[in-house]
Amino acid sequence: MNFIGEHSLWALAGRFFTYLAFTGALGTALFYGLNWLRPGACSGPDELGRPKAAHEPFLRAGRAAFALHSIGVVGILTVLLTAILSHWFEFDYVWRHSSRDLPLEYVFSALWEGQEGSFIIWIFWHAVLGWFLVRGAKTWEHGTMTVVGLVQLVLTSMILGIYVFGIKVGSSPFVLIRELPENLGLPWTTIKDYMIRIPAFRDGQGLNPLLQNYWMVIHPPTLFLGFAATLLPFAYAVAGWIERRPLEWVTPALPWAYFGVGVLGTGILMGGAWAYEALSFGGFWAWDPVENASLVPWITLVAAAHLMFIVKKKKTSGGLTAIMAMLSFLLVLYSTFLTRSGVLGDSSVHSFVDLGLNGQLLLLLGLFSVGSLILLLVRWRSLPRSNADEAFSSREFWLVIGSLVLLISAVQISFSTSIPVLNKLIGPEGLVPILGEAMAPPTDVFRHYHSIQIPVAIVVSLFMAMVPFLRWDSTPNALLKRILPSLLVSLVLGGLAAWGLKFDQPMYTVLLITGIFAALSNLDLWLRYQGGGWRSGGQALAHLGFAFILLGALISNGKKVAISQNPVFLHKDFPANEHILIPLGDTVSMHPYWVEWTGERVEGHFQIFDVNFYGTAEDQSPGKKLFSLAPYIQMNPRMGNVREPSTKHYWDRDVYTYVSFADMRSPEEKASGWTEEMDATMGRGEEVFVFEEYMMRCDSIIVKSAQMIEETGDLATLDMAAKLTLKHMDGRKETIEVPYAVRGNEASPGEAEFANLGVKVRFDGVSDEPGRFKMKFWRKAPEEQEFILLQAFIFPYINVLWLGVVLMAIGTALAVAKRIAGPKPAPKP
Amino acid sequence: MKRNHLIALVVIAFLAGALMVTIQDASTYATFEMASKKTPESVTVVGQLDLEEPITFNASTSMLRFTAVDKDGARSIVYYNQPKPTDFERSEEITLTGLSSGDTAFFAQNILMKCPSKYADEAQFSSK
Repeated sequence: MNFIGEHSLWALAGRFFTYLAFTGALGTALFYGLNWLRPGACSGPDELGRPKAAHEPFLRAGRAAFALHSIGVVGILTVLLTAILSHWFEFDYVWRHSSRDLPLEYVFSALWEGQEGSFIIWIFWHAVLGWFLVRGAKTWEHGTMTVVGLVQLVLTSMILGIYVFGIKVGSSPFVLIRELPENLGLPWTTIKDYMIRIPAFRDGQGLNPLLQNYWMVIHPPTLFLGFAATLLPFAYAVAGWIERRPLEWVTPALPWAYFGVGVLGTGILMGGAWAYEALSFGGFWAWDPVENASLVPWITLVAAAHLMFIVKKKKTSGGLTAIMAMLSFLLVLYSTFLTRSGVLGDSSVHSFVDLGLNGQLLLLLGLFSVGSLILLLVRWRSLPRSNADEAFSSREFWLVIGSLVLLISAVQISFSTSIPVLNKLIGPEGLVPILGEAMAPPTDVFRHYHSIQIPVAIVVSLFMAMVPFLRWDSTPNALLKRILPSLLVSLVLGGLAAWGLKFDQPMYTVLLITGIFAALSNLDLWLRYQGGGWRSGGQALAHLGFAFILLGALISNGKKVAISQNPVFLHKDFPANEHILIPLGDTVSMHPYWVEWTGERVEGHFQIFDVNFYGTAEDQSPGKKLFSLAPYIQMNPRMGNVREPSTKHYWDRDVYTYVSFADMRSPEEKASGWTEEMDATMGRGEEVFVFEEYMMRCDSIIVKSAQMIEETGDLATLDMAAKLTLKHMDGRKETIEVPYAVRGNEASPGEAEFANLGVKVRFDGVSDEPGRFKMKFWRKAPEEQEFILLQAFIFPYINVLWLGVVLMAIGTALAVAKRIAGPKPAPKP
Repeated sequence: MKRNHLIALVVIAFLAGALMVTIQDASTYATFEMASKKTPESVTVVGQLDLEEPITFNASTSMLRFTAVDKDGARSIVYYNQPKPTDFERSEEITLTGLSSGDTAFFAQNILMKCPSKYADEAQFSSK
């Protein structure tokens, strides 16, 4: 049947591209694999450095298949984007994630809001990165591309949306609402013009208001590019280990590992920037499981990337390096499982909804984990053995220790994040009930994670400060002395800073000093010993950036001040909280400011609250208006209201505020002043107990005048009134008359007020029961002063954090560029 | 290789230590009854809002008071010294972390709400 207004051809095209991408991936894995695993192929390159030419046809077929796969992926993206841009709400995905009033820039956010969309962007980046392997991996091409093909095969299966033997395989973004399983066979699905007839198809549900933020336009693609980048070291490692080249794979994988470190790190902190700007939990990091799930692969990737240097230079540590590289990719898969399976439902504010793909996700994860593990076990013996211990003063020794420290950090975060998973496995209702009671995530997440992560950060920053000064093999003492100036300066600077910022926790003070040490020593290394040029600056700048991230996070969080202290004393064990009440037009003290709430206005979906900050005597500007902030509440009838902060940025601090509570009734509701509507049916002489404190009595029904139409005997006009007496429990009494009139066919209910008692009555007419009448009562709302609750923080030196992110991104980019552009047999000095 | 083995042992020891600390820190899912026995330990209670009972919010102290029903069907008054979450009444399920006063009330430090899925609207197609 042809449905009017439906773009079923496009849906078909989308499906076609999905199948094309799927079969393309299958072909990639198959043909590259055949070329790779044929006898003799694992012995490395031929004399020209190319894969052996004898099986050129398979190689060409593999490339062609990957080209088809890529066309499919681009096609999927194009169709989905077109559908969202054109508001084709017959598509379930478009209907769920977008609406007509969605601003153009958020079309992309809508594209990757859902699970299917985020899989697509992930697949897309894999396809893009795959081409770099095709173009530049040379002898590694067939091995790495076989892995890429397999990964793409599994990932595209997640968006297939077909049923195999009754089991759902993947969820397609091209399903029409008409085709959803729950709608199959419903009468409307056979109506030709259902799109026009059913009003729900005129507009979609809209994008979650939380995601309507510019960070949400760039954060997901950056994060997924970072995720995708972990595939390349993984593919190289797998290829290398299968080919019995357990060390050589490191050289081509190294730039990609650093590319991943830079992009994933930036992507994660872009998410932090979004949380800081759009969410009102007051900070850029909350140790939320979803955040943790993306942080852990980054940590292991950092470890892998650093270990790769040892493999490259010293031909040792090959096993640990491969483990870390493989783990990074596997942890990305695991994080996908965590965030998409719905298993985090109880513990995270922003996990995806379960799409019924858990089995498939687990299979994917299990397949790759078990495969990697078997590969490592089987080929462990092919690692070259070295019996010598590394020297105590060698760079390689400390790099290994550093990566193990990172591993401890990753394990703790993973473990705590996985508590819901552990419950499913070994909880009282799990697969193997070991635990007596279900574990819950720690109640104070900050204390919990910081207890391990701050010591780790201290050790890591110490290593960052010192290891770059060490030499391979062993370091002469003369070179060690180069660290001393920055150590001394950072002890003094750190001490002064700790005193100036009033640090009182010893751990924080230590981290402050080691963080400054890491920043200074890397700067020193770059400027004094590496010439200070851009080409050589990658390592130092990236380290400097990460030291800044640590310092910025430490100071802005450790010294975050809630300036909105509620002055009401509750109980000695119940600390007054950090939400302050401001009546409309009033000014309250929020040390060091006076804060005034001047009013609210509605702009589109936003209810904006205007708040002025005035100086106090303390900063020599008493009464001077310093700045205004406009925190707002985003109103979305479907998804609820969202409180959004507003922040004043100074170079050395942010003043951050949001409305934590506001009366969100409409102005009409507030103005009417009548609440607690209740219905009653009353007859003459009857009494009703109203509002739990009044007795309402219907004294009489008075007909004042009535005119009949003589010919028909119908009522032409009628004027009547109900005489009501309202008696309060305390004895106050009032009697009024409520009119009711009929003119021809039109009835006009009358209203009247018990002015002294504050109750309003409407006479709604005759009830179905003879002799009884319908009434409505309201009571006067108590006069209320309009108010809001405000929470405000000062985040000192949070810009150090953002500067760190930029520096780290630049640093890793420089390091990658150096390795790509370097002279062909790139010897590193 | 002696020192490498030593390092491995030290790392494993640290790892074990970190995990011990982590496990000690984990809270437990409890009912109100279990929570009252565990006072002053913090626990996590999953339950529902009792809409029959009054939900009051005192803005000047920003104290929210409501009644929750846990998975066993037991009721408890809950105090939450934070602003009332938006759409609180619409929540399908609430996860409370905090501690029981021992007898009558539960003091929540944190509330996580599970709101009706935004896909709930989809049912409108099924009913046509």
